[in-house]
Amino acid sequence: MNKIIAWVDQRFPLTFFIKHELTDYPTPRNLSYWWGFGFLAGFVLVIQIVTGIFLAMHYKPDSNLAFDSVQHIMREVNYGWLIRYLHSTGASAFFAVIYTHMARTLYYGSYRRPRELLWWTGQGLLLLMMATAFMGYLLPWGQMSYWGATVITNLFKATPVYGDQIVTWLRGGFAVDDPTLTRFFSLHYLFPFLIFAAVAIHLVALHTVRSSNPSGINLADKDNIPFHPYFTIKDLFGLGIFMIVYLLIVFFKPDLFIDAANNIPANPMQTPADIVPEWYFLPFYAILRSVPDLAGGVVAMAISVLIFAAMPYLDRSRVTGGARYRPIYRAMFYIFVIDIFVLGYVGAHPPAGTLKMVGEVCTAIYFLTFLLLPFVSRWEEKFVLARGLPPAVEAMARKEIAEAEGNV
Amino acid sequence: MSNNKLFGLIFCLMFSAGSAQADEAQLKRGAHVAVEVCNTCHSLKYLKYSDFLKLGFSKAEVDAMRGTKGMADPLISQMAPADELAMFSTVPPDLSLMAKARDGGANYIYAMITGFYTDAKGQTANHVFPGIKMPDVFMIAQADAAGRQGIEQKARDVSAFLEWASDPQAEERKTLGRYVIGYFVFLTVLLYFLKKKIWKRLD
Repeated sequence: MNKIIAWVDQRFPLTFFIKHELTDYPTPRNLSYWWGFGFLAGFVLVIQIVTGIFLAMHYKPDSNLAFDSVQHIMREVNYGWLIRYLHSTGASAFFAVIYTHMARTLYYGSYRRPRELLWWTGQGLLLLMMATAFMGYLLPWGQMSYWGATVITNLFKATPVYGDQIVTWLRGGFAVDDPTLTRFFSLHYLFPFLIFAAVAIHLVALHTVRSSNPSGINLADKDNIPFHPYFTIKDLFGLGIFMIVYLLIVFFKPDLFIDAANNIPANPMQTPADIVPEWYFLPFYAILRSVPDLAGGVVAMAISVLIFAAMPYLDRSRVTGGARYRPIYRAMFYIFVIDIFVLGYVGAHPPAGTLKMVGEVCTAIYFLTFLLLPFVSRWEEKFVLARGLPPAVEAMARKEIAEAEGNV
Repeated sequence: MSNNKLFGLIFCLMFSAGSAQADEAQLKRGAHVAVEVCNTCHSLKYLKYSDFLKLGFSKAEVDAMRGTKGMADPLISQMAPADELAMFSTVPPDLSLMAKARDGGANYIYAMITGFYTDAKGQTANHVFPGIKMPDVFMIAQADAAGRQGIEQKARDVSAFLEWASDPQAEERKTLGRYVIGYFVFLTVLLYFLKKKIWKRLD
């Protein structure tokens, strides 16, 4: 065995890689379970790819056969129901895990210098994931699949001058139809592998800047411990908890995230009473509908997703540790999270009366949070420094401020 | 929350989940209603006659239900879609997934079947589905109290059957699920203690 490894090592840095990325890779010992969600996301990606490959063996991307082929999988393929429910629940699990992963980053300020690129690769991953989920949702060819795809592709009409051409080009026709289904199927199979590659880039960036940690300060060498075995086992325990929750849904509530209308085959002649996207798009959908003008709504929705990338610059506080030592940022974080949940509720219901107004107010709060952050964060910095901070945190903040002022 | 409490909660969820089960006799009665009444106009195309064997029907009973149709044939409506279109001005929807395709599932189907009444103009209408094109097949709108009871029982039976038909693997899924969740709870407990043991090295 050792001989084989030595043979490989001369030709490929296997031992070096294992040491550098796992057994010697220094990880802050104070990382909480909130830091385990990145690993969970990677695991769910693998679940989705594996189950997806098996589904593709039995699924038929043809508008006349797609709906029936899903029922064929559910009823006739051995354990087809299990593979399909793992995949359909996996999509929701993926978003739940990723949103938690992002919330942790926002709460602890993990996007701050020097982790901007790490954060941006994550933002790119989110966009790829959203595109993949959106295209995958068309494949069952149910009513909600069809009309969801119709509504979302329609948004590209807002493009100046070429709007109509772009919509036709995306659909492969004047309406969502067989060509749309086949191209979405093809891309839905491709994108997960792009995500896989982007995850590798995300990890390279992570291993360059290393994990942030809840204390906000750079830990002394003695407080960093090797990733393996300490965090492999911690992540595996977290995975166990995740799997229990995930599989409870798969086995006992598998229709939880499947809209009833999607059990009706797509019918281009009949619009469902209410077109509702999947839960993970609801807050953004609510923002889209809260702006009266189509182009304005589309721009607002796009910005609401992309604005996270600007966080390293919008947050101008030099106090580290994220929300932990920053009462105002913490309050803003919680208001923002609540705001997103309210937007999600609004997005799931027809926009009328009070609910329409609630959606508009929450959309305003959503964007105000980001717009006010540059000013609030600077003011808060002065406030918390005057009020007093743990010495190590204060020293880091003062050092950063001095560096910044030296540059001016 | 302590880990013991957490695991307790998970165990409770495990054994309470999906406990409501229609009994076999009810599903069989419902199957008869579906084949003898619903199937006249509605298809249940994702069901095959052989699927009835899973409900506990004997082969002879299924043979009687299927008539000249093959064991592996799907349950296609007795009426041709073109005739249906002429008669009802719509093609009645397939029922195999109906319990999943409406919010409320089996309860919706029950409420719809029993929801017929005679309106002020003396015409038959439906509380749940205004403008429905389906006739009041059990004639519940004209039934007296005793007749109503019988129809409600039939509606309950066929709703339970359609719920089964929309998800014939449900029973197998829940049985397998208990083992899988049990396995993962056990594994996770082991991982928890292993984690504690490994992290002790840092003390």
